[in-house]
Amino acid sequence: MFTQNVAQAKQPYRTDAYLDTFQMFSGVALILFMWSHMVLVASVNLGSRVMNSIAHFLEATYLAQIGGPMIALIFLAHFVMAARKIPFNYKEQKAMWTHSVRLNHLDTWLWIVQAVTGMIILIMGSIHMWTVLTDLPITAAKSAARIQGGWWLVFYMMLLPVIELHVGVGFYRLGVKWGWITRSNRKSLKNFENRLTIGFITIGLITLFTFYFIIKAA
Amino acid sequence: MGRQLKFNIFRYNPEDPKSVPHMESFDLEETEAMTLYIALNRLREEQDPSLQFDFMCRAGICGSCAMMINGRPDLACHTKTKNLPDEINLMPLPVFKLIGDLSVDSGTWFRAMNEKVQSWVHTDKPFDPNAEEEPMDNQLAEEIYELERCVECGCCVAACGKANMREDFMGAAAFNRIARFMMDPRDERTGTEYFEVVGNEEGIFGCLGLLGCEDVCPKEIPLQDQLGMLRRKMGWQSIRHLFSRLLPD
Repeated sequence: MFTQNVAQAKQPYRTDAYLDTFQMFSGVALILFMWSHMVLVASVNLGSRVMNSIAHFLEATYLAQIGGPMIALIFLAHFVMAARKIPFNYKEQKAMWTHSVRLNHLDTWLWIVQAVTGMIILIMGSIHMWTVLTDLPITAAKSAARIQGGWWLVFYMMLLPVIELHVGVGFYRLGVKWGWITRSNRKSLKNFENRLTIGFITIGLITLFTFYFIIKAA
Repeated sequence: MGRQLKFNIFRYNPEDPKSVPHMESFDLEETEAMTLYIALNRLREEQDPSLQFDFMCRAGICGSCAMMINGRPDLACHTKTKNLPDEINLMPLPVFKLIGDLSVDSGTWFRAMNEKVQSWVHTDKPFDPNAEEEPMDNQLAEEIYELERCVECGCCVAACGKANMREDFMGAAAFNRIARFMMDPRDERTGTEYFEVVGNEEGIFGCLGLLGCEDVCPKEIPLQDQLGMLRRKMGWQSIRHLFSRLLPD
């Protein structure tokens, strides 16, 4: 005869908390990676040799070979975690759109920006990662050759603002959601974040200019 | 002579099978210190006695007259027409059940919310009506009162993207309520008990951090700070629980 013991202390359901916390940690990791990535790529503005020696260091220490796929994994996991919040059925999409138009509230619009840029980054970011990680080592001349081909320049001109917007809005929203940005510092930190985003887009544009016009292609 | 104001007001009576949702326009001359509450009363008295909207205190205390004013939720009684353009669009609050025109049933929603978050002081201490009340630190009492000022108007719920998408989402009013009891030393609930109420997708982990609630609250209650505090507390609690499971003593 089948018997069952259910004398267990009742514990609340914690999966939502784990997923949301992991979403936060993966977001923080990707923000830090994107900032470091921009600094490393922008090192080409100081000359090909600077970028090449940083790339060489990352490959000689296997940081690129191990770190690259790890970042790709965090990138995909972050998408899965964050996508839980995005409405995929028409009724919820319509409710969110109607609400955004009616309220016309900047932070609400920025969430839609974040959701849309997230989808674009999933595709374009994957293409970029595959292209770079399957063609190691990274050198300034190879990157310049890719960008000077023409289509990749258009690709990166689109990807740059999309990523920086997503990172900027995500950074701000992480602070809001987890309480590091409070009523008293919200305005100043939002201004700081806007300046940071514009700064990174400007550095990115300068770097693309350098790759396209100055660096000698391989 | 005051400005000529044009009011476009949502009209619909769900009780009347012949009624169709539509916008109806009314013209009214603006008077000095006119509030939307005064304007709506004049419209009802002078132009259409069937116009439905809620009010009680006229002083921003009862929360009854909340409505969408040019797309933003706010209280009609403390909204001065001089701060609005010549054309004013009035809609009922979304999310809540429509009673008719601008009137919604926020009471049922708030009753359910208060039951869900168990919005009362939980204690096992027997109550002695003759005993002297235990003193509370004045600063703490003021901090609790700051959150207690909520008038349950529903503006924060109407301004919440998540509450507009998902009807099971608890909303900022509920989080504010929980934060208020977490501060109260008389409430003996443990962190796990609070987690059970709010530590899920319908609760704090479903909040998208859009801050519509914070930006429209007519009482300017610091909702943003409560959302952040709750998520952090519940998040760290879940991490501590995970590590205690992975690394038992």
